[in-house]
Amino acid sequence: MPNIIETRLPTGVKDFLPVKAAKLDYLQNTLRSIYRAWGFRPVAPAILEDLAVLELGLGSDLRANTFRFDDRQTGRLVAFPPDITPQVARIAATRMRDMPLPFRLCYNGRVLRHTEQRLGKDREVFQSGVELIGLSGPEADAEMIAMAVKCLQSVGATEFTIDIGQVEFLRGILNDLPLDASQALALRTAITAKDLSGLQKLLKTLPLNDQQRTELLALPRLYGGRETLDLARKAISNPASQKALDELEKVLEVLTVYGVEEHITLDLGEMRGFDYHSGLVFQGFLSGFGRDVCSGGRYDGLTERYGFSSPATGFAFNLYNLLFALDRELDERAEEGTDFLLFSSGQDKAPAQRLAATLRNQGFSVARDIIERDQTASLDYAKRMHYRYLLVLKASQEELTLIRTADGESSSVTQDAIESGQFKI
Amino acid sequence: MNDYLTFALPKGRIMQDSMELFAKIGITCPEMDDPGRKLVFENRDDKLRFMAVRSQDVPTYVEQGCADIGVVGKDTLLEQEKDLYEPLDLQFGYCRLVVAEPKELLQDDDPAGWSNIRVASKYPNMTEKYFAAKGVQVEVIKLYGSIELAPLVGLTERIVDLVSTGGTMRENGLVEVETIAEVTSRLVVNRASLKTKHRRISKLIEDLEKVIEDGPRISG
Repeated sequence: MPNIIETRLPTGVKDFLPVKAAKLDYLQNTLRSIYRAWGFRPVAPAILEDLAVLELGLGSDLRANTFRFDDRQTGRLVAFPPDITPQVARIAATRMRDMPLPFRLCYNGRVLRHTEQRLGKDREVFQSGVELIGLSGPEADAEMIAMAVKCLQSVGATEFTIDIGQVEFLRGILNDLPLDASQALALRTAITAKDLSGLQKLLKTLPLNDQQRTELLALPRLYGGRETLDLARKAISNPASQKALDELEKVLEVLTVYGVEEHITLDLGEMRGFDYHSGLVFQGFLSGFGRDVCSGGRYDGLTERYGFSSPATGFAFNLYNLLFALDRELDERAEEGTDFLLFSSGQDKAPAQRLAATLRNQGFSVARDIIERDQTASLDYAKRMHYRYLLVLKASQEELTLIRTADGESSSVTQDAIESGQFKI
Repeated sequence: MNDYLTFALPKGRIMQDSMELFAKIGITCPEMDDPGRKLVFENRDDKLRFMAVRSQDVPTYVEQGCADIGVVGKDTLLEQEKDLYEPLDLQFGYCRLVVAEPKELLQDDDPAGWSNIRVASKYPNMTEKYFAAKGVQVEVIKLYGSIELAPLVGLTERIVDLVSTGGTMRENGLVEVETIAEVTSRLVVNRASLKTKHRRISKLIEDLEKVIEDGPRISG
């Protein structure tokens, strides 16, 4: 009877066993290859930050969710970052400030966030993302979106949408309204939920003029395809919002050049995103999966909080969400099995060891079945542990047997064929 | 699979009301006429699927994306605060969430003087929020049914519960003191579904808007 020791994990974090972990590896590697193809170079931010420094870049939303504790060496508070973008902004604004702009940077890393204790909310978020620092304007915004589309295609997504919002468009409508904090919160809540009837009821109680009312009432329905832009132009007349729509139109033109417009939807009433966002923002959704798999957008004011003013934009994938959304598609793509389990009979193990080394030199993945057992048991082990073939080497025989674990089909191969490099599977 | 539009509807009266309303815009499910013990119903021709769930579970199914669309009372939405779109007030299922107490207590009770009270409710979050906003410290005892019983047996002095006609409360010697919220059924939509199926869902919302009756009504 095995000794069962209770080994629970805190809620909101997970272990991944080989099958899933291989898929995570595949996602990271594939995304990194796209980042590289677009000229992005890696940065690796620290896992701990001084809380006071980190908080320069965090809005109240992320601040409230930060894991923090005492640093015994200094008595100061330190924190695990809840998001990597502010860290990259800090690195760009301080360590890299004397290098020529723009910076194209990418990263991979896990962050921690406190979440409400409820089903399906992760406290550990595995991010893979890019930051484009030092560029403003539609071409940079479009580059981010086109890249996000390319990334999703490269990991096997077919039906998906990148949903674009515009923070400045909303600010044009919401700024300078004569509302107190609780009225403003109620207004945001209704708009975020696209709760048109709630908004109508609320507006009756607020001290607003007709233009303000008309613009606010349009927001819950300003989402959909490209036609949303025309609807917005008709419904919204303030200059700041109009200017934001002009910018958005230019971005859409560039996206047409990149040939990704079929994956684009607009949502001009979307108020999500982090406190540091400004301008164009976006989220990626896969058909049939209820949460976003990536999010990002412009954050022109963030590097200035670290003493270096520069426009910037970027996005990050939530790799766990991406993994769960594409789990089935990744079965085929993420090659997680090992090519050969090498089984040998007889006392002299040297031939098997040499053969394994030869195969590895040729680029195959090979493990030796070191345990003393019979061939049936070895094949059974190979099947359960995701080896593709059992390779059977019998003492002083030139011919080897190759058994495919998937269907048990066997064939033979000579040692000569392997050593001369002609052997393929 | 993904070209289906999936609805999560609360079993019972609200499900009937919902299907009657949906029928007006051509959304039907003949399979539901003979429900038996089935929980999932399909209309294969129109690629529609309907799940019968507990009303408190509707927001969960929709937030997690198992259903694209749901119908659920505003009380449940306020209590659970899930991240959902809530584009339409369907106007049926009207009731109110109220604070109530025994008639005898009311005679010399002044809500303005409450500082520390015990309340029984199915809605602990909303109850705490409501009283916190008033500056009243509240100890909520969470119950799952027959809330009216709590003051009768001395579990708490007051309750927070839904009333539609008020019959049950009257029969148990309780009177309403304050209204916390007016409640009707809402159409809720998963965030990703609204984006990835926006043509179908926008059309559904537009069509429903035209047939929803003016003014809230009690379902019974």
